[in-house]
Amino acid sequence: MGGKRKKTDGVGIEGGDDGESRKKKMEQKDMLLPSTVKNKERRSAVHAKLKHQKKVDKRKKAKAREADEKRALELGEELPPKKIPRTIENTREIDDTVCKPDDEELFAGNDADEFSSILKQDCTPKILITTSRFNSTRGPAFISDLLSVIPNAHYHKRGTYDLKKIVEYAKKKDFTSVIVIHTNRREPDALLIIGLPDGPTAHFKLSKLVLRKDLKNHGNPTSHEPELVLANFTTRLGHRVGRMIQSLFPQEPNFPGRRVVTFHNQRDFIFFRHHRYIFETKESKQTESKGTKGSKEAKSREKVIARLQECGPRFTMKLISLQHGTFDTKGGEYEWVHKPEMDTSRRRFFL
Amino acid sequence: MPRTTTVESPGCPPFRALTADVLGLVKVIESRGEQSGAAAKVVERWGDPDSSKCVLAASILDRKTDPLLGVARKSGLIEVISVINGDLRLSLPNVCQDGTRPEDDPIVKLHLFKKQRSESSTRSCTLLTCTTKGSVRIESFEDSKSPADSIRDPSPTTWNVCGSGNILCSKVEEYENYALFGGKGVEVNVWDLQKCTKIWTAKSPPKNSLDIFTPTWFTSATFLSKDDHRKLVAGTNCHQVRLYDISAQRRPVITFDFRETPIKAVAEDLDGHTVYIGNGSGDLASVDIRTGKLLGCFIGKCSGSIRSIARHPELPIIASCGLDSYLRIWDIHSRQLLSTVFLKQHLTNVVFDSHFRIQDVAGSAPEPQDVNEVTCQDEDEEAMPTKRKTTSKGHGDSRSKKKKSRKTNVAGSAPEPQDVNEVPWQDEDEEAMTTKRKKTSKGHGDSRSKKKKSRKITEED
Repeated sequence: MGGKRKKTDGVGIEGGDDGESRKKKMEQKDMLLPSTVKNKERRSAVHAKLKHQKKVDKRKKAKAREADEKRALELGEELPPKKIPRTIENTREIDDTVCKPDDEELFAGNDADEFSSILKQDCTPKILITTSRFNSTRGPAFISDLLSVIPNAHYHKRGTYDLKKIVEYAKKKDFTSVIVIHTNRREPDALLIIGLPDGPTAHFKLSKLVLRKDLKNHGNPTSHEPELVLANFTTRLGHRVGRMIQSLFPQEPNFPGRRVVTFHNQRDFIFFRHHRYIFETKESKQTESKGTKGSKEAKSREKVIARLQECGPRFTMKLISLQHGTFDTKGGEYEWVHKPEMDTSRRRFFL
Repeated sequence: MPRTTTVESPGCPPFRALTADVLGLVKVIESRGEQSGAAAKVVERWGDPDSSKCVLAASILDRKTDPLLGVARKSGLIEVISVINGDLRLSLPNVCQDGTRPEDDPIVKLHLFKKQRSESSTRSCTLLTCTTKGSVRIESFEDSKSPADSIRDPSPTTWNVCGSGNILCSKVEEYENYALFGGKGVEVNVWDLQKCTKIWTAKSPPKNSLDIFTPTWFTSATFLSKDDHRKLVAGTNCHQVRLYDISAQRRPVITFDFRETPIKAVAEDLDGHTVYIGNGSGDLASVDIRTGKLLGCFIGKCSGSIRSIARHPELPIIASCGLDSYLRIWDIHSRQLLSTVFLKQHLTNVVFDSHFRIQDVAGSAPEPQDVNEVTCQDEDEEAMPTKRKTTSKGHGDSRSKKKKSRKTNVAGSAPEPQDVNEVPWQDEDEEAMTTKRKKTSKGHGDSRSKKKKSRKITEED
């Protein structure tokens, strides 16, 4: 009995007009939830019908939009605004720590922080790179790649020294940062960046490492100072991490070298890429073919395109903790630690 | 599996808190009560950002008339400002006896005395400072018109609390007769401030079963209760919390571990047995110190080291702040997060101004309930709801108006104690009143304590 009634309702959906019967449809949908039907066969039928209906609606909407666009194009009107797809990033949770460009406290904080002396070019960065106690295969290869990326970086063998001793040593020798590459099962898996003399300590997880020799058609970097691209470091924490990364590189890039190092943050993952670029002028063919009017211009018009060649390693970092002061696992204070209770939302990002 | 349902969390009660940060700013955070649904926000900011003015220690003189806030800065400067409007009252350059730079010997503790230590003048203020190297100094100052030429007490009391090591934590007892000091390489010791003598020193716990001796390193300490200076709670760098009883023994009575990072902040509750502990990785918990059992953790995505915890003297809330630049307000009973405020800098200290009220400026008729409820024989926490007079109308007011209201309140509060004696209310009256109040107030925890009180009053009758 009930089944029959539902059937008729279903017919009603199909017969109804799109715009007019939306309300009706909503009501019917409420009534026709597959989960309310007890018989499995009926339920799957209802579900299939619902799904089909959705598909049809979607197609209709797309067609209508296309038609609108076409008409607007023909009439010379303004095109209907393109819809922005919703992504996890642009629907991220509202975060009040996001830096605002007119925040004077932020600038005062920047002036006071540990990296300001390097970033204001009062002193040049000098980096010490070392490893964990045990180090083999991919670790040394990665370090040799990293040495070619970061200017003024020096590799020191770890030996059996404590990290705290190494930090002391580096402080004495006027290093500005220490980078420790930790390997586990012959694969680099963590990166520790320690700012000196009292800068913070950042602990990153390292993944997706591709060495230079494994890249196809890789370029070989020159010894020019690279340009640095830091993208998407928006919050205060991200800002701080960005400044920390910035302080690893010399602040005056040597532009003739056409070398660029990118740290791109996306959903709290920091992607590292290293490229060489070149600007090439190309005569564009499109303008010539377009019409007789533009032919004069077409001769003079030359398109400049940038071409990239990847060189150097490629890897992804994720921040695990940022510690106040230099490396001290026992007595250290953390500025930020990742905790499992933070992972309750996919749309919450910290950098 | 993340929790999908939200626990019923009451709104934030009206409070006023002050925070000090590493850039030397003092920020005032106010919440205007739950009726209006307004969250806590920054209402004022005092000072200019300057890293050399980093606040190392702060202390509030929490009184009804003319409350003061003392801040000790990194440059060795000590400033006393008015809590109401941030006026600089007193500015003391660092005076080091033997020419040490203030950067080498920073101040770790500043305390403004509530009671007058010298009877010389009415408007004097006494403060205690303690530096890392252990030199303690008690000085009195005459308050004068301009902050620069305050008259300095010619003979400050100074002494040294430790020969070696660094003082990291210090606390002055509620009645200001005793103070404790502890730090890296310095066992907790208690001093009599009147006679400037050490009355007690702790003894380090024995070696453990593996014959390993953990070096002394206290990072936080406090007195357990207001009335008793003999019970101390201290947190160590090796994530231990210890309870000392001066009258019992020199070794800790109870020792327990909390998580993995050093205990950076310890605060006591008013009930005398609950302690709030915060550590270097941002975990905040309350512990019943009589048994050493964890009552529960305050969970709320707190990710940076906790530098300071403050308990509100009347309301059931605590505030915590630290390196994650957030001020967080928690309910102590449900351990729910009531409010968070992002303050942009690493915070070093938070204090409550407990005499902050929001009054109905429009002025409803003087309510008899108010008089009725001032029965001060209870403990402080019981008396807490009595002074809560909040109305949503006061919310939209301008700043000046509020100040005025505060002042009027101060003036109006004088005759309160008289009312204690005359409690000539009949039983039925009493009950009617309390029920009425219950209906009107939606506050959290209020109704419960109120019930208690009504019961008490009826018992007395």
